Amino acid sequence: MTRKNRFAAAIAIAAGTALLATGCSSGGAADDGSGNGKVTMTFWHNSTTGPGKAYWADTVKAFEKKNPNVTIKIQAIQNEDLDGKLQTALNSGDGPDVFLQRGGGKLNAMINAGQLLDIKDSISADAKKSISAGTFSGYDAKDGTYAMPVAVLPEGIWYSKDLFEKAGITGTPTTMDELNDDIAKLKDSGVDPVAVGAKDAWPAAHWYYNFALRACSEKTLTGAAESLKFDNACWAKAGKDLEAFNDTKPFNDGFLTTAAQQGAGSSAGLLANHKAAMELMGAWDPGVISSLTPDAKPLPDLGWFPFPAVSGGKGDPKSMMGGVDGYSCTAKAPKKACTDFLNFIVQKDNQEGYYKAFQAIPVNQDAQSVVSESYLKTALAAYKDAPFVSQYLDTLYGQNVGNALNTSVVDVLAGKGNAKDIVTATNQAAAKG
Amino acid sequence: MTLDTSLGTDPATGSDRGAGSTQAGRGASTAPRPAGRRPAKRLADWRQRAEIAVLAGPAVIVFVTFVILPVAMAAYYGFFKWQGYGPPTDFVGLQNYVIIFQDQAFRSVLMHNGFIVVLSLVLQGPIAIVLALLLNQKMHGRGLIRVLVFVPYVISEVIVGTGWSLLLQSNGAVNDLLQGIGLGGLRADWLSNPDIAIWTLLVIISWKYIGFAVILFLAGLQSIPEELFEAAAIDGAGYWQIQRRITLPLLGPTIRIWAFLSIIGSLQLFDLVYIIWGQYIASTAGTSTMATYMVANGRTSGNYGFGSAVAVVMFIISLAVALIYQRFVLRRDTAGAITEGKK
Repeated sequence: MTRKNRFAAAIAIAAGTALLATGCSSGGAADDGSGNGKVTMTFWHNSTTGPGKAYWADTVKAFEKKNPNVTIKIQAIQNEDLDGKLQTALNSGDGPDVFLQRGGGKLNAMINAGQLLDIKDSISADAKKSISAGTFSGYDAKDGTYAMPVAVLPEGIWYSKDLFEKAGITGTPTTMDELNDDIAKLKDSGVDPVAVGAKDAWPAAHWYYNFALRACSEKTLTGAAESLKFDNACWAKAGKDLEAFNDTKPFNDGFLTTAAQQGAGSSAGLLANHKAAMELMGAWDPGVISSLTPDAKPLPDLGWFPFPAVSGGKGDPKSMMGGVDGYSCTAKAPKKACTDFLNFIVQKDNQEGYYKAFQAIPVNQDAQSVVSESYLKTALAAYKDAPFVSQYLDTLYGQNVGNALNTSVVDVLAGKGNAKDIVTATNQAAAKG
Repeated sequence: MTLDTSLGTDPATGSDRGAGSTQAGRGASTAPRPAGRRPAKRLADWRQRAEIAVLAGPAVIVFVTFVILPVAMAAYYGFFKWQGYGPPTDFVGLQNYVIIFQDQAFRSVLMHNGFIVVLSLVLQGPIAIVLALLLNQKMHGRGLIRVLVFVPYVISEVIVGTGWSLLLQSNGAVNDLLQGIGLGGLRADWLSNPDIAIWTLLVIISWKYIGFAVILFLAGLQSIPEELFEAAAIDGAGYWQIQRRITLPLLGPTIRIWAFLSIIGSLQLFDLVYIIWGQYIASTAGTSTMATYMVANGRTSGNYGFGSAVAVVMFIISLAVALIYQRFVLRRDTAGAITEGKK
């Protein structure tokens, strides 16, 4: 009986292998078609609806018109699905040629796995002239450059001018003491002073990032990206500053289960509906807020001011947190066509189109003059004036440490940990990755 | 119903053993054939083998591809530090496992799982038995109440999670209702206060899964012969005496199977927590489970090697609990069905 069963099992396994083998071998043959000079590329981005989607369709069409031998197939993938699909596709060697680059630890992992194209020698003189070198720096590694930036997203506090006025606040706070005073006034006027979407962890952690930016020197912040050690005293000071701020109870009720961007109950929604007066967020916030106002139009009284100065730190009070959006070519992409495309999307007119489609500050300095909203202008001015712009720390320190950092900050805000625990959790996480 | 479910929990062993014993029976009956007819026997053997291959093949392939292979791959990846990009190269041996068992967060996750396992049994069991006894009486609207009790179980976890998280928000309907009926003092941050959150979770779980227990128990009750109750009544037993001496003992097999399903479900609890508390804050709110720990420290952190190791630990814990339970508690109920059994 055992022999029979074994034999049957062998047949079954053989049949299964055959099925799997035939199933896997069908399709998937990549055609780079380089034989006749024609090139086909695939392009993955995350704008599945509205003006963003239209922008990419138009831009690709314009590029194809200028380069008749290049065809680009666009695939718009829902933002939350993009990273997972990308990872699977890159590992199976079936990835896109051009794609939205998140930067930071993910960028490093892709570079280490040899999945990205070094574009350093292919960046056009035009692009080099119009984009500041600092903007590229987040994409530099191992003597190469691995992505083309398209937009800068500086961070600051977005606020409702009407609610500030109602609470009797004139001007915007420039120091923590002023901010705390304003928070007290806002509480008296009956609104939540600060909305924070702690359910998503990172929005709460951004408060800690900014305290760290004020407490730590530039060298400490960037050095930690290499060492992933958080022993400098400034990390603990930033935690203490955060605790002191949290003790004034500045955040909306139930902030722990408040999401950042979904629905009227989210932190952006609270600001959009005048339930809360402020939110600390990157420069993508105006777009999110406009989608959540009652009439789905931009919030008319939206304003912006930089994170206030904090006394006793080593950081420059004008330094900022800021992200950069960019695009990468994969290692298997046709180098010339792909880098041509990257150079094309940062040209002045395409960058102006990008600003109009995404309400985001373009990287091309010649295109920045079209920015017209007062809050974006203020943010842009502060960005240009900043002696140091740090990447968001969860991006800078990679997914693993970044994630631990974010959740430990939430623990502190919820009263489940203290400033020391942030440092411990972050140091511990480095061991897991 | 009971038998179906018990078989359903372990399809592989169930069906394999079943097929094996059938084959053995047939083999025995065909064995003593005259020596001169060997070719015919061979043909019959071949037919039999082909039959097994065709019938068992698809199930074996699916089971191997989607259950055995992933488990083996998780075990393999668990020995690496791996970010999920490119093939894993950084072999670290058992280091991932050492970190897991040293991690304070994993210990609290085990506590949460244990808490949910025990309190699910303690809360849901008695309530479900009482409800089942009640719904087993002949009364008006019985069908409707049965449906209502069962509805939460049918609704998808995502909808339940989203619905309750909206109701229980700090400025949500539950707190407004409490305020409205003059119980404003009872308002609470049901989801975001770490002291309350796990109790809230427990209530939601009970609400969601009690219908399943009630339906199981009802089915069990229906299978108890009416004559026993009549005989007991004639002998002068009161209502409670009948329930305690006849209903509960005869409901035993059903209760034990339900407890098994409840324990396994509690150990693997993921969806409700993930929907209500999201990817990040379950540990802060004190509702994290082994599965959310795995996702938070594996996928969300991009540590696919570490996450695989957590998956292996979780698999071993669940398997151990399941085997121990089957060996010591379910043995008498499933003798001959799942276990080899004495004929």
